[in-house]
Amino acid sequence: MNISLIKVALRYEHDIVLARQRARTIAGLLGFNSTEQTRIGTAVSEIARNAFQYAGGGEVDFLVGGSDRPQRFMVRVSDRGGGLEELDAILEGRYISKTGMGLGIIGTRRLMDYFHIDSTPGTGTTVLLGKEIPSSAAVVTPQVLDRIAEEINRHTSQNPFEEIQQQNQELLVAMNELHQRKADLEAMNRELEDTNRGIVALYSELDEKAEHLNQANELKVRFLSDMSHEFRTPLSSILSLAKILSDRIDGDLSSEQEKQVRYIHKSAEDLLVLVNNLLDIAKIEAGKTEVHPEKFEIGNTFSTLRGMLKPLLVNPAVKFEFGETDGFPSMLTDEGKLAQILRNLISNAIKFTEFGEIRVEAETDPDSSEITFSITDTGIGIPPGDLDRIFEEYTQVDMPLHNKIKGTGLGLSLAKKLAELLGGRLTVESILGVGSTFTVSIPICYVSSAETVPKSMLPLPDVTRLPALVVEKILVIDDEEVGRYIMKGLLTDTKYRILEAAGGVEGLKTAAEQQPDIIFLDLMMPEMDGVETLMRLKADSSTCDIPVIILTSKVLDDAEQTALRKSALAVLSKESITREVVLVNIRDAVVRFAKPKI
Amino acid sequence: MDNIMDRIPILKMGQFLLVTIQVDMYDRLAMALQDDLTTKIVEHNSKGVLIDISSLEMVDSFIGRMLGSVASMSRMLDAVTVVVGMQPAVAITMVELGLSLSGVRTALNVEQGMSVLNGLVAHEVEGADYDSEE
Repeated sequence: MNISLIKVALRYEHDIVLARQRARTIAGLLGFNSTEQTRIGTAVSEIARNAFQYAGGGEVDFLVGGSDRPQRFMVRVSDRGGGLEELDAILEGRYISKTGMGLGIIGTRRLMDYFHIDSTPGTGTTVLLGKEIPSSAAVVTPQVLDRIAEEINRHTSQNPFEEIQQQNQELLVAMNELHQRKADLEAMNRELEDTNRGIVALYSELDEKAEHLNQANELKVRFLSDMSHEFRTPLSSILSLAKILSDRIDGDLSSEQEKQVRYIHKSAEDLLVLVNNLLDIAKIEAGKTEVHPEKFEIGNTFSTLRGMLKPLLVNPAVKFEFGETDGFPSMLTDEGKLAQILRNLISNAIKFTEFGEIRVEAETDPDSSEITFSITDTGIGIPPGDLDRIFEEYTQVDMPLHNKIKGTGLGLSLAKKLAELLGGRLTVESILGVGSTFTVSIPICYVSSAETVPKSMLPLPDVTRLPALVVEKILVIDDEEVGRYIMKGLLTDTKYRILEAAGGVEGLKTAAEQQPDIIFLDLMMPEMDGVETLMRLKADSSTCDIPVIILTSKVLDDAEQTALRKSALAVLSKESITREVVLVNIRDAVVRFAKPKI
Repeated sequence: MDNIMDRIPILKMGQFLLVTIQVDMYDRLAMALQDDLTTKIVEHNSKGVLIDISSLEMVDSFIGRMLGSVASMSRMLDAVTVVVGMQPAVAITMVELGLSLSGVRTALNVEQGMSVLNGLVAHEVEGADYDSEE
C-alpha cells in the first residue's frame, strides 16, 4: 500500500529544482542520512529532468510504501510524452544520447534500491524509484506522514524563494485548471453554437412545412367546398327525378320499378348527407360557418330528434330513450347545429348497437351556464387506443361490426367541430364490448365576438287561405337541361305554361318578350350568372315587376341570402324542392305581388 | 519564467574570477553561468576561475557536466578552473552516478583553491621556460 505524501507538477525548469529539493527534504524527514538524501535528490533530479526535457512536463509523486518495516520511500515520476523507444538499449547502457547525457537513467538506477521504468511509445513513461527507509528511523505511520506534510509546509514558508516557488506551483495548478475550464467552455460554446444553428435551420424548415401544410389545408378546404357544390347539383337532379318517378307524375311504375326508384332515392340521399357533411366541415375549417342563435326549448329539440331518428331504428332489440327535460332553461344558441350534433351522435349509436338501449339525456345544474347532453349506448364500444382517433376525419375503427356498416368517418369529426363552434366540447368514454358514452357540453347562451341578431323567420303563408291563382306563364332560367326538366316535371298537371331559357341572356330576352308571371332563376350559370341576370331583370322596366324565385343548389351564406332577398322573392334550394314547395312559393308570389296590382 | 536578473554573480579578483554558487541552480541558470564565465574570462583576460560549490547539496549529471564544460572551455581560453568545497555526499553521489569530472581541478576550500590557482598561474607564466625543461 502506497500513501501519497505530496505531488510536484513539472511544467517549468524550476520545477525540477523544486522536485529534487522536496525529495531531499522528505528523505531527511523520513530519517535518511545526508548522503542518502543527496542520492535521492540527485536521482529525482535526473528522472524529473528527463520527463521535463523529453516529454515536456509531468508529475512527481512522493509516496511511502508499506505500513510496517521494511518501508520504502517511493518517488513516481510520470509523463505523457512520446515514451522511450530504445528503453532496452538505455537500460543495458548501449544507448548513446544525442544530447550527450545518457547517464541519467543508468546512474539513477545505481543510486536507488528500487527502480522500475514503464514506457509505452505514444502514451508516456512512468518511472518508479524507491529506497528502503533505514531501520534506525521511526516507523512511518499516517500520523508521522501528517507531521511530515506539516513540516514540509513549514519548511517551505521559511524560505521566501521557495515560498514563491510553492505559490508559483499552486498558481500553475490553478492556471492549468483555468485553461482546462476555458477550453471546456469554448468547446461547449462551439457545441451550443452548432446546436443553435441546427435549431435555427430546423425552425425555418418547420416554418416552411407549416406554410406548406397551411396551403395544403386551404386547398383541401377549397377543394371540398368546390367539389361538394359540384356534387350537389347532379345529386339534386337525381333526387328530384327519383321523386318525380316515384310520385307517378310520368305514369305508373311496376312494383319492382318502384323499389328500384326508391333505392335510387335512398342512395342519392345518403350521398347527399355525405356531401353535406363534407361541405359543413369545409365551411367550419374555412371559418365560413355562421351561428344563428335562437331561443328554443330542449324538449322540442328532443321530440324532433325522436321523430327523425325513430325510423332509423329498425332493430327491435334496441330501446331508444330520451331523458326528462322538464325545468330546463331555454337555450339561446344555434338549434340546427345542436340538432345536427345530437343527430350525428345518435345515428352513430344506432349504427353500432346491436341490442340493449340508447339513452339520450340532458343535464344541467343551476349554477352552470352549460347544458350537458349524453348519448349512452350498449354497443360495441371503442378500443382505448382509438378514443383520440375517432374524432379525426375519415377515421373508422377496425371492428367486426364495422365491416357490416358503411360510413365515411365524418360524422364524429363534424359533431366535434360543430360543438366547438358553439363554444362547447365533445368527449367520449367507452369500454370495449360494453358501450360508449358521448358527452356534449354546450353553453346555454351562445356568445360570439360579433353579436349576431337572430333572424326573424318569414311566416309561411297559409296555403288554404290563398286567393285563386292568376299565374299563367312561368319562366325557368337554368343552364342545365336537367334542372329545367325537373321544374317541368314538378309542374306537370298544372295549368301553368313553362317557358325555358338556357342562360341569363336568353332568359332576359324571353322575359322581356313573353312577360312571364313568375321567373325561376338558377344562380350558377356560365356567361351571365344568376345574380347579374337578376339585377338586369330588376333594372329593366319591362321586367322589374316580375317576381323572381331563386332556385339553386349553391349553399348560400347569410350575407348572400340577404342580398338576394332584396331583389328576389324567395331563395329555394334545389335539393329540397318538391312539387308542394314550388306550388307554395308560386302562390306566395301571387299573394305578395298581386297586392299592389289589385 | 525567464528572468534576466536571475544570474549567479561572478566576482573579479585580480587575475581570477570567483563564483560562489549559493542556490540550487536550475538548468538554464547553470547554462547562463557557463556563458557568463566564458565572456568574463575573455573580457578580463582572466587566468583562473574558482567555483565554490560548498552550498550545493546536490550535483546531478547536468550540473556536473556544466562544471566539466566550464573547465574545458576556460582551458581553451587560457584559464584554469578550480572547483572547491564539494560536500562528501555530493562527491559520493557523483561517482555513483558515473560523473568523474575528469579534467576539473578541485580543492577542499576557497583558500586552498586560491593557492592552487596562484601556483598554476605562476607556473604557466613561466611556462615558456619550463616547457623546454619538461
